[in-house]
Amino acid sequence: MIAPATEARIYKILSDLSAVPQQQIKRGDRLREDLGLDSVSSMELVSMLSEEFSIDVELEEAVRITDVAGLLALAENRIGDA
Amino acid sequence: MAPEVLVLGSNGFIGLHVVDALRAEGVEPRCGRRPRSNVLGLRSRKARMVPADLDDPASLDAAMQGVHTVVHLAGHYPRTSTDRPGTLALGERQSRAVIAAAHRARVSRLVYVSSTATVAPRRDGPSSEDDRFARPPAHGLYHDLKWTMESIFEAAADLDVRIALPAGCIGPGDLRLGTSALIVALARGDDPPHPDGIVSLVDPRDAAIGIARMALREAAPRRVILSQSSVPLHGLLVALSRRYGVREPCAPMSPRVAKALADDAERQAVASHSRPRMVREIVDLVVHGVPLRGDLAEQTLGLRYRPFSDSLSDFETWASRLGFFPTPPEARP
Repeated sequence: MIAPATEARIYKILSDLSAVPQQQIKRGDRLREDLGLDSVSSMELVSMLSEEFSIDVELEEAVRITDVAGLLALAENRIGDA
Repeated sequence: MAPEVLVLGSNGFIGLHVVDALRAEGVEPRCGRRPRSNVLGLRSRKARMVPADLDDPASLDAAMQGVHTVVHLAGHYPRTSTDRPGTLALGERQSRAVIAAAHRARVSRLVYVSSTATVAPRRDGPSSEDDRFARPPAHGLYHDLKWTMESIFEAAADLDVRIALPAGCIGPGDLRLGTSALIVALARGDDPPHPDGIVSLVDPRDAAIGIARMALREAAPRRVILSQSSVPLHGLLVALSRRYGVREPCAPMSPRVAKALADDAERQAVASHSRPRMVREIVDLVVHGVPLRGDLAEQTLGLRYRPFSDSLSDFETWASRLGFFPTPPEARP
């Protein structure tokens, strides 16, 4: 289970990049269709996440993340590994 | 002792390969990065990153402190050709900012990575480094922007400037699917609309080796084309359609129709914040493409271009791994 503080930091990054208010972002949101992030912005998002939490993310993993749930799952798995 | 080298645009398609090429030459570069850029490639390489934003002179001053050579791959690259005054002004301002910071930091050499769009045609055969438009070629915004920025760097005083002119890059790492977008569309079974003309190609790893050697070798020429081959685009797409077992692409459009279609696609894309189906810059590069000589790099930098088939195979393998390609192609020419 991802820590609430970690989840909040991820939503803050999402909000900064998408300009969607943090409170309006939901776990089920899709990065492109719901948050308006194109493929370039989505990669920037994963990159910001990797820097924020000092985790290494391979490109192959990054391109497969298409929604907020995927992003949270990545954080949950990898922050525990870090 | 290896010189201190700063790479601006180090996290980009060619930039990451330049980092690898510099390392292969024994140099551990400083890698400039903007605050929000995708640095996954730099992080996986455990690269030395420093903040460097072309719109933030203080960050450039700090990044260039103690640097001998700057490799500049971060020149403005417009995503569309819809804002001519704004694009030209931004490209000019950022170019002057890099030069001013290099002067303040007493940088010795600057390798500016320009584009083959600045190479003029010649009547008696393929164009070489000596063939440069005397004024902006007026083919489109991309050509004029590249000409303008290159001219600014060429005129920089008290700085040893070298100009690298890489052709369209086909190879691993093209995350934004720029030059390779047509190949991917074709492999997916789409029928990408396209004009015909000469396209010049190079593997980004070879271009990067050339750029790294221009940064490090005292006797590197002032202007170097990095191009493995020049071929007609439509013929290339037909050959690739056979390679991928898909139907042959439609006949090429006339330049006039292609430009109009690209302009329209870009206007729609800007309005809807999406990616245009056709890009004016690519249309201009194809329609006005000229055959190029890439042999100066071989003679003076010891560059050995790998065969295009190797570049293509490596691109396909990489793109398949990332899910850009439908399946790894089995047919080989």
